[in-house]
Amino acid sequence: MASVTLEGITKRYEDVTAVDDMNLEINDGEFVTFVGPSGCGKSTTMETIAGLTLPTEGTIEIGGRDVTNLPPKDRGISMVFQNIALFPHMDVYDNISFGLRLRKYDQEEVDRRVEEAADIVQLEGMMDRMPSEMSGGQRQRVAIARAIVRNPDAFLMDEPLANLDAELRVHMRTQLQRLHRELDTTIIYVTHDQAQAMTMSDRIAVINSGVLQQVAPPLECYNEPANLFVAGFIGSPAMNFIEGAVVDGGFESQYTQIDFDPETHGVSPGQDITVGIRPEDVFLEEDARKAASPTKAFDAVVDVIEPMGKEVNAYLLFDRDVEASAEGRGEGQLLINLAPDTEIAEGDDIRIVMDRENVHLFDRASGDAITHSLE
Amino acid sequence: MSADRPDGESVDEADPTVEMADQAKADEPELDRGIIEAWAAKMISNPDRAYRATFYVATVFFVVTTLFPFYWLLVVALTPRNNLSEVGVFLPAGFNPAAFVEVFQTLPFHRYVFNSFLIATIATVAVLLVGSLAGYVFGRLRFRGRNAMLLLVLVTSFFPPAAFFIPLNRLFNTNVDVLRPLISAGSLYNTPYAIFIPLSAIFLPLSIFILMTFYSQIPDGLEDAARVEGTTRLGALFRVIVPLSAPGVATAGVLTFISVYNEYFFSSLMTDGRPGNWAPMLEGILRFQGEFEVLYNLMAAASIVAVLPVAILVVVAQEKIVSGLTTGAVKE
Repeated sequence: MASVTLEGITKRYEDVTAVDDMNLEINDGEFVTFVGPSGCGKSTTMETIAGLTLPTEGTIEIGGRDVTNLPPKDRGISMVFQNIALFPHMDVYDNISFGLRLRKYDQEEVDRRVEEAADIVQLEGMMDRMPSEMSGGQRQRVAIARAIVRNPDAFLMDEPLANLDAELRVHMRTQLQRLHRELDTTIIYVTHDQAQAMTMSDRIAVINSGVLQQVAPPLECYNEPANLFVAGFIGSPAMNFIEGAVVDGGFESQYTQIDFDPETHGVSPGQDITVGIRPEDVFLEEDARKAASPTKAFDAVVDVIEPMGKEVNAYLLFDRDVEASAEGRGEGQLLINLAPDTEIAEGDDIRIVMDRENVHLFDRASGDAITHSLE
Repeated sequence: MSADRPDGESVDEADPTVEMADQAKADEPELDRGIIEAWAAKMISNPDRAYRATFYVATVFFVVTTLFPFYWLLVVALTPRNNLSEVGVFLPAGFNPAAFVEVFQTLPFHRYVFNSFLIATIATVAVLLVGSLAGYVFGRLRFRGRNAMLLLVLVTSFFPPAAFFIPLNRLFNTNVDVLRPLISAGSLYNTPYAIFIPLSAIFLPLSIFILMTFYSQIPDGLEDAARVEGTTRLGALFRVIVPLSAPGVATAGVLTFISVYNEYFFSSLMTDGRPGNWAPMLEGILRFQGEFEVLYNLMAAASIVAVLPVAILVVVAQEKIVSGLTTGAVKE
């Protein structure tokens, strides 16, 4: 068990900067997830922690020890890979005990530890199977057993669930959470799937284009996103954005107008800002009482309805003349989330209100959040 | 295709080969065909038969051309010495299996074979070791000048080996004082090194290419996993990459072994031909050629004896190659 500290980590390849000046302190026993779109530098960051690539600049400390230039084997870490990476020419026992045997543990100790690790991931009685004879989930469990058997200071997991089918992924997700609770070891987890990040982590680190955007507990990232990128990336379906400007007494865009006092939120009339509102914070006018503090009502037209069972997603247009974009999230469009029994139909004219307590304001130029509530 | 047709007919129509076969059958009685024409028509309507026939013809041809010389060697070896002038093509004139014993009585032929075997083994180990390191670098690392160096390696294999002989022979005949404690004469002539050093170098590029191709196909994740688990890069190479490339390693090893074992030019010139001076197997066979008489039967018997170690090796290695192919199962 150990803390992990990244200080000014930068990784440059010939003409691209994959990771740019990353500073991050991960506490002992914490479960931190790196999340971001493909190619954002999250895997590169993890590889520098593992020692598989060396950072161009910066230092890495694990448990207070500077490991920046140590080879992977001397860093006290273990890793679970996206492609599972079991050694195909070794059976389960040999795979799990590989690291122990390299470190010359005596046979009894190896047996005891392998048995213990296999027990945790429920692999009893499969010790002499070859990886090619196992299912995806079993292989993944072997990979996890191989990682925990050495009792490392920190686990690195690089999209370990990406190659599993949806059902197994959810199952393994709870398994990993249970595992973290039992082992109480620092876990650094990489994923592009914000659902995995939200459900498992103590804190999530949102990364975009090699730059750390926000490091915070999942709900904080959800409720108080630091900038437009985090707001759009965390949450599914994603937050609605309405571009407009500050005017005297509030916000105005082509179709909407929200009253607030610019001065209390430190904005001045004429400033370009973006309003962010999550689909579940928009209500029909007749349900306005569900909102803690409703705005005044806007006109809208129902474009497409997606019944999801426990809720209904409705794609709205602010005006019949708005041309709906393919993904339904363009200018003049709004996605809202309604109770499943709401009686609306495609083409209906409706009136909606937003919950002022959950209206986010972002400065358009910098993308930074200005406020997360108008109250 | 109209909907009211029975199913069977529409299936026929969908498969042009079946249709053609039917047509051929239907047309047959109307045409007056010779045997060859009829046979050709049959082949056209049923191409699988043609492929099978071609396969057998080709196989028999290759088996005969490769194995018959070997068989004839046996015929010559079994022919008694006095009947050598009337040696048959298919059957020996007489039966003298004692030739296989005489081979070892006339000369210490086992020593020659042992010399060759040892030289080939050392060369194979050296080539696989150096070739593995080079194959890893060329196959798995990206660095500036990689292609230029690869080309350089390739270029060395373009030279005729004979071009290296004179400088090497000079070099190996030079007494080097440093070597005196290791080699009695202080020069490499008449030592196994004089044969295996140049031959290893000559056959190395081929092995580098074979191993490079195999090593480059091992997923990066496996090497990364090995390194995180506690190996160095070298450890990952020999514990994970090499075992998973067993078929490639076996191929490179067998090719090198056979090439060195059978090599003529350097083998015959880098020693003085005495078995105690590490003369290889080939020198032994040539020693049955006396000043007044050539003992063809013993030469033939010696050749057969000399082939045996290689034949055994190939059979064993083949097993390895096949098993490597089936258990490898690298995913990704």
